[in-house]
Amino acid sequence: MSDFYIYLSNITLPMLQGMVITLSVFAVTIVCSLPLGFMFTLMARSRLKPVKSLAKGYIYVVRGTPLLLQIMFVYFGLPLLPVVGDYLIFGRFTAACIAFCMNYAAYFAEIFRGGLLAIDKGQYEAAKVLGLTKIETMIRVVIPQMIRVCLPAISNETITLVKDTALVTVIGVAEILHYAKTAVNRDGDTFAFLVAAALYLLINFVITMVFKKLETKYEF
Amino acid sequence: MMEIIKVNQLNKSFGKNHVLKDISFTVNKGDVMAIIGSSGSGKSTLLRCLIDLEKADSGDIIMEGKPLLKDGVYPSPPEIRAIIMKMGMVFQHFNLFPHLTVRQNLELAPKVVKKEETAAMNQRCEAYLNKVGLLERIDAMPSTLSGGEKQRVAIARALMMNPDILLFDEPTSALDPELTGEVLNVMQSLANEHMTMVVVTHEMSFAREVANKVVFMDSGTILEEGSPEDIFIHPQEKRTQEFLSSILREQKKTSKKYRLKKYC
Repeated sequence: MSDFYIYLSNITLPMLQGMVITLSVFAVTIVCSLPLGFMFTLMARSRLKPVKSLAKGYIYVVRGTPLLLQIMFVYFGLPLLPVVGDYLIFGRFTAACIAFCMNYAAYFAEIFRGGLLAIDKGQYEAAKVLGLTKIETMIRVVIPQMIRVCLPAISNETITLVKDTALVTVIGVAEILHYAKTAVNRDGDTFAFLVAAALYLLINFVITMVFKKLETKYEF
Repeated sequence: MMEIIKVNQLNKSFGKNHVLKDISFTVNKGDVMAIIGSSGSGKSTLLRCLIDLEKADSGDIIMEGKPLLKDGVYPSPPEIRAIIMKMGMVFQHFNLFPHLTVRQNLELAPKVVKKEETAAMNQRCEAYLNKVGLLERIDAMPSTLSGGEKQRVAIARALMMNPDILLFDEPTSALDPELTGEVLNVMQSLANEHMTMVVVTHEMSFAREVANKVVFMDSGTILEEGSPEDIFIHPQEKRTQEFLSSILREQKKTSKKYRLKKYC
């Protein structure tokens, strides 16, 4: 029995190190892609044709190509671009974060778009006749209501994000799955995969709880 | 008499549909003007043009001497905002902010737009809620209120900005018949305090008892206007007579059951 615990701790400790990386990619992506996504939502609603087309084109391309491909493109592809390539050489971790932020921003943009569609025109009118400016209306009236509408979808997307972080092993970022694979290959025992699964489940358990709290808070 | 709103030769089209045709009228201080007419006659559009929720195509709208629209030209957005802040509006569907409590609904605009001091604002909020009979619901969320309560909160919210004129767009049309009385009561008491009001309504008894001016609109024009007596007892136009007899017939059916007891 004690052999088992020693083995367990031997494979789990590096995986916990990997979990720090997983959580870092996750945190950076959430913090950056939510505002970036909202920016794309606003751009896609803009009255300026070029701004609108740019945002819609961006969302189309990002949603239409595999995330795995995008990660490889940012890490391997961007430095090969003529002229600007020299300035686009990123470390593994940075490249992974950039790819994730850009990818999730597109999905969040669509979620926010749906959220804005759910808000009644009368809300904008009521705010206007009370003298609120467009920006005040956005911040005080529209965004709080939009968040409530979007929360279940954002929660869903956030859980997917945790699992998607496993993709960054392709550019050699040492996260949970990276260490699990190393252990499996070294020991010829797939038990490490079970431990990895447990760690992902643990992260998503916490996230589910957090969103449950948030949804009650935004209930009205 | 002091003019609050003067509208001159106002025109508005939605595409090929000419919904307002050369509309002119004046609202003086203390007037309660009822705009009646069948649906599609342009009365809601007219009201929405007055507060810049719709853009008119030509004509003038002068609010207390300041042009909101002059010869079909609008001033800059900040000037428009300054003018419409002198007006309040109550909507058919209340349009309360569902994520805010009753108190927050009332205090949002004074706080954000006028940067009013909290203590004074709280006091006014409580006073207006008391006036519409909803002080005990001050911390309620709008979703827990009945339609009549929502509309009374909406009226209090509009009053918080100290408007010189209140516009009502069919304020009781979305309410169950037994709830219209409580809203009309509040409007009646505002009229008694000489609040200037323009009310688009299907409540003929309100137009008759409370308004001092009645405007009958038909397919984008003001067909007839005058005192309630002029319109209801001596209507000149055949179209007015038809409209009144049909709507009164309609309302008689429901009124027997519910309304018009309390507020008249």
